[in-house]
Amino acid sequence: MTVQIRSSIRFLLNHRLVELSAVSAVQTLLDFLRLDRNLRGTKEGCAEGDCGACTVLVGRLLEGRLKYESVNACIRFVGSLDGCHVVTVDSLAQPGGPLHPVQQAMVETHASQCGFCTPGFVMSLYGLWMENPKPSVAEIEKALQGNLCRCTGYAAIIRAAEAVSVIGDLDRDPLIAERATIIQKLESLKDGKRVEIGEGSERFLLPASVDDLAEIYVAEPKARIVAGSTDVGLWVTKFMRDIAPVVHLSHLDELRRIVVDETGITFGAGVSYTESFPLISKHFPQLTELWNRIGGQQVRNMGTIGGNIANGSPIGDTPPALIALGASVVLRLGKKRRTVLLEDFFIEYGKQDRQPGEFVEAVKIPFLPENALYAVYKITKRLDEDISAVCGAFRLTVDGAGTVTDAVIAYGGMAGTPKRASHAESALTGTAWTEASTEAAMEALAQDYTPLTDWRASADYRLLVAKNLLRRFYLETKGDEPVRLDRKQAV
Amino acid sequence: MQFDTPATTNPIDQLKVVGKPIHRIDGELKTTGRAMYAYEWRDPNTRYAYGYPVGSAIAKGQITAIDSAAAKKAPGVLAVVTTLDVGNLQKGKLNTAKLFGGSEIQHYHQAVAVVVAETFEQARAAAAMIKVDYAPQKGAFDLRAELATAQSPDPSTEPDSSSGDFQAAFSTAEVTLDAEYTTPDQSHAMMEPHASIAAWNGEEVTIWTSSQMIDWWRTDLATTLGVDKEKVHLMSPFIGGGFGGKLFLRADAVLAAFAAKTVGRPVKVALPRTMISNNTTHRPATIQRIRIGADRDGRITAIGHESWSGDLAGGGPETAVMQTRLLYAGENRMTAMKLATLDLPEGNAMRAPGEAPGLMALEIAVDEIAEKLGMDPIEFRIKNDTQVDPENPERPFSHRDLVGCLKLGAEKFGWDKRASAGSRREGKLMIGMGVAAAFRNNLVMPSGARVKLDKEGIVTVETDMTDIGTGSYTIVAQTTAEMMGVGIDKVAVQLGDSRFPVSAGSGGQFGANSATSGVYAACVKLREAVASKLGFNSKDVIFENEEVRSGNRAVGLAVAAGPDGLVGEDTMEWGDLTKTHQQSTFGGHFVEVGVDIATGETRIRRMLAVCAAGRILNPITARSQVIGAMTMGVGGALSEELAVDTRHGFFVNHDLAGYEVPVHADIPHQEVIFMDETDPYSSPMKAKGVGELGLCGVSAAIANAIYNATGVRVRHYPITLDKLIGELPDVA
Repeated sequence: MTVQIRSSIRFLLNHRLVELSAVSAVQTLLDFLRLDRNLRGTKEGCAEGDCGACTVLVGRLLEGRLKYESVNACIRFVGSLDGCHVVTVDSLAQPGGPLHPVQQAMVETHASQCGFCTPGFVMSLYGLWMENPKPSVAEIEKALQGNLCRCTGYAAIIRAAEAVSVIGDLDRDPLIAERATIIQKLESLKDGKRVEIGEGSERFLLPASVDDLAEIYVAEPKARIVAGSTDVGLWVTKFMRDIAPVVHLSHLDELRRIVVDETGITFGAGVSYTESFPLISKHFPQLTELWNRIGGQQVRNMGTIGGNIANGSPIGDTPPALIALGASVVLRLGKKRRTVLLEDFFIEYGKQDRQPGEFVEAVKIPFLPENALYAVYKITKRLDEDISAVCGAFRLTVDGAGTVTDAVIAYGGMAGTPKRASHAESALTGTAWTEASTEAAMEALAQDYTPLTDWRASADYRLLVAKNLLRRFYLETKGDEPVRLDRKQAV
Repeated sequence: MQFDTPATTNPIDQLKVVGKPIHRIDGELKTTGRAMYAYEWRDPNTRYAYGYPVGSAIAKGQITAIDSAAAKKAPGVLAVVTTLDVGNLQKGKLNTAKLFGGSEIQHYHQAVAVVVAETFEQARAAAAMIKVDYAPQKGAFDLRAELATAQSPDPSTEPDSSSGDFQAAFSTAEVTLDAEYTTPDQSHAMMEPHASIAAWNGEEVTIWTSSQMIDWWRTDLATTLGVDKEKVHLMSPFIGGGFGGKLFLRADAVLAAFAAKTVGRPVKVALPRTMISNNTTHRPATIQRIRIGADRDGRITAIGHESWSGDLAGGGPETAVMQTRLLYAGENRMTAMKLATLDLPEGNAMRAPGEAPGLMALEIAVDEIAEKLGMDPIEFRIKNDTQVDPENPERPFSHRDLVGCLKLGAEKFGWDKRASAGSRREGKLMIGMGVAAAFRNNLVMPSGARVKLDKEGIVTVETDMTDIGTGSYTIVAQTTAEMMGVGIDKVAVQLGDSRFPVSAGSGGQFGANSATSGVYAACVKLREAVASKLGFNSKDVIFENEEVRSGNRAVGLAVAAGPDGLVGEDTMEWGDLTKTHQQSTFGGHFVEVGVDIATGETRIRRMLAVCAAGRILNPITARSQVIGAMTMGVGGALSEELAVDTRHGFFVNHDLAGYEVPVHADIPHQEVIFMDETDPYSSPMKAKGVGELGLCGVSAAIANAIYNATGVRVRHYPITLDKLIGELPDVA
């Protein structure tokens, strides 16, 4: 296979085409905007995707459709923007001209105090408005999960979101009105070439295709594959790690494919949490809340299921849930593919069943059997935008006689990897699904795990909560009432 | 102008502009991203260099050597300036910890070097190459472990107070409470990280920075740089939040100044978020003991409040007992503060220093004693209200309506539906209501302004006052418009520049009342100048509709200004009304929570604050201040805590992922009601502060609501579910 190589990246920045050949693998979009382009409306509050002050919109073509999504510019690498349209707050209103409806709404509802988080909120709300001009409060809250404000207490910002459509007409918004032209411009940037830029610690590549990715990775197995950069971005901004050479895959449409057949769903490794959400919530409604509590909207727009798995973190949000579902990963090495059960993929802390040059190409999630009971619980101190202290996932099959025929229990945050609870599973399998058997399984959890104490939670607390989550699962499967707080109950 | 007698009727009382719900005048700049924060200043003809700070990797000891050879050779690097290079520097008087210079390390992440390069990335990469050798010393990092060594702080801080005979009264009281409470170290966590640009011109330096207090910074920076104060020009027109974290000079300004001097070019330095918790200041943790004795009728006979906190040597205590000297009646009283020497980063002011953690404890204690007495906690507070300073009964409050706040709040909140502890359920939720008093003193600070009237009839205000999100721009414009008889669109406001008259600055909730009073004084001078120029008798002139009138003569302000314009400048000085009268602000916080019986998760359902804080200058900006403070109180009650590594002496969770401020889903329906009142003892504005009042007591109201919901009393903040779960009733 011969691949043509381009040594620059090209993307639209607000109204202009940008072509860059001198760009480093570790240059973030935020630094590029503020320092190189002097677009200072976008703010840096944390440089790690927590606060949302740096939110910009990135528009991307996928199968002919152009969708704008909010992203954290601070942990998004410039190298990943080839073929995209980056929209920053600076472009929304011209000096002396009228404010954008989102900005006007923020002014009128007094949704800005110190103003430092404000541009980020404006961009998150703009992204929401384009997709959903009349959002409910719950939808607004979801869109703003990844934006922190320390001054206002948020209510005024919610009112701003509700007021946008009263003030402005979406059809007249430039990104809607000029969409055909923008799509045309972005289409013209697609040339099917591989991009290679820089040397040494600056070097990065954009494979031309998945086959090209496979080839590159075999040749350079020490390269760092980056999908959403919601974790790797922090390696650069917080830990100053050298990550080159970087191989990006977020531009590969092939890896964004989703296939649904009668046995389950296969997500390409580049499918983001946001893109997977409609199918996840349709086929696995038990996962809806978990999905809605992964990071904030910006992180869900960037982060991928494949990346969450390949990264191997013991506190990743999706692995416990997917292990309990019996998910597997498709691994690709050169032209060869193999499929391993997700639970077998995680070997120990920092180590996965992945050969040099091998990468996660897809994740297969089988549908639940009809009589299966399934639930996932994420325990955090703060409702949104928080990392699990413990995450528990449970799947049971109970036969007509009330006997547990199959039990899969997996936890995150309890060991060096996301891990199944074999003793607890054994304690349940073959017994009646009763309070007594639940309590026996709860006790067995102490044999399955010796969790760590850190500042997020103590070992005792983790073990107690792990037990109680199993009890919660029992209570919820037996009664009508949810045994927990959710958003609706809280307000 | 000297304010030494209570205000009578003045032009502010017209309330044509002041007191009106006017949107912040800087809203457009902020929503477009055009408001220029410190790091963003840019002269297109200047090539800025970038500085990246390096923080100490130990908490206490000496630096023995710094090897910056590799960093100096790294691509793009212009210079490395180390703490050894600059030698010992004179510390400004307002900081406890030194910010830079010399070999001594006083706390973790103390600045030890700044690397300057052509680009930010080059500076950051080279910063990782700096090698520092330390001779570490053993430090003290655990407040609890140092209790025995804690001392009485500097007598000038008035650490102790007493009246009557507390011991005797407490030991014979019919009903008593004696309990310990703790509050953790907290971080300001403002959204804008500390950042500065320094540019030298000969011996003069201009600093664009993020500062709440222009003159304090200017003075301390001049001291540390060893230059005359007049040679330092400081600019801080927009500040992305401060909450006390930007009251005092910070390391970024010092590093930028040294770096710029060294490379002969303007240099930008921002503190990375991960350095902020340990490089800057924080609200110190406290351990508090409260004893209350009461008679069977619910009258307090003895009240004692002791507080222990820690700080670096030379620092001060967290003044958590102060409100207890004033809030409730009772003949026999004592308060005491003890200070332990800790080698953690510097403890200092954070929004409502003293009262915030003090009321977190006191207002739980009040709830507890009320329960022991079988009294409603509101009734108990009303019964123990005082209209005079209880330690000096001859000294009255200037105006105090705590009772009004509590009564109105109870009515609006539906307090009568509050059930006994642990008895109200909605499914698996335990529901409870809590109340707490809010209390914060009204401080006043000298504040100056200059007001210029030009030939277009535009009035321009210049003061070094800052707007940290509070709404200073807007209320300064309102005050000026009211005084000069013009619309707010005819007023231009310039803030945050050391070339302008020295103002109160933003802190201690003194900013709004003091700074607008300074503007009032300057406007009085301008009115006199206008009248004098026109030959009007300044006693009977009226400024209205952009003109000035006297008898049947009327002249437009633009005309009156003439081609050269007119200027008024003055500083408001304060007499002894704050000594003869206790000036404070008051409120009642009402909170309803739901606690999950199975997991102990707490969700707040609704909140109400009723505030009595004098005249409200702008109900929109004031309301926003209170709501923002209530939100901060939710964090304080439920999630915010700097976790101390007591082995190595630093705050572990030094980012916004680990230091958990509330997100919007944590915040329920919030409401604020202001009592319609004025306080003529406070200032010609008759206003008082609200920015900190809103935080005072909120967290205790939440704690009390959790108790009412669950019957579990948690006295140690934050009230995380692990502190509740073991005590909750059985689910099954």
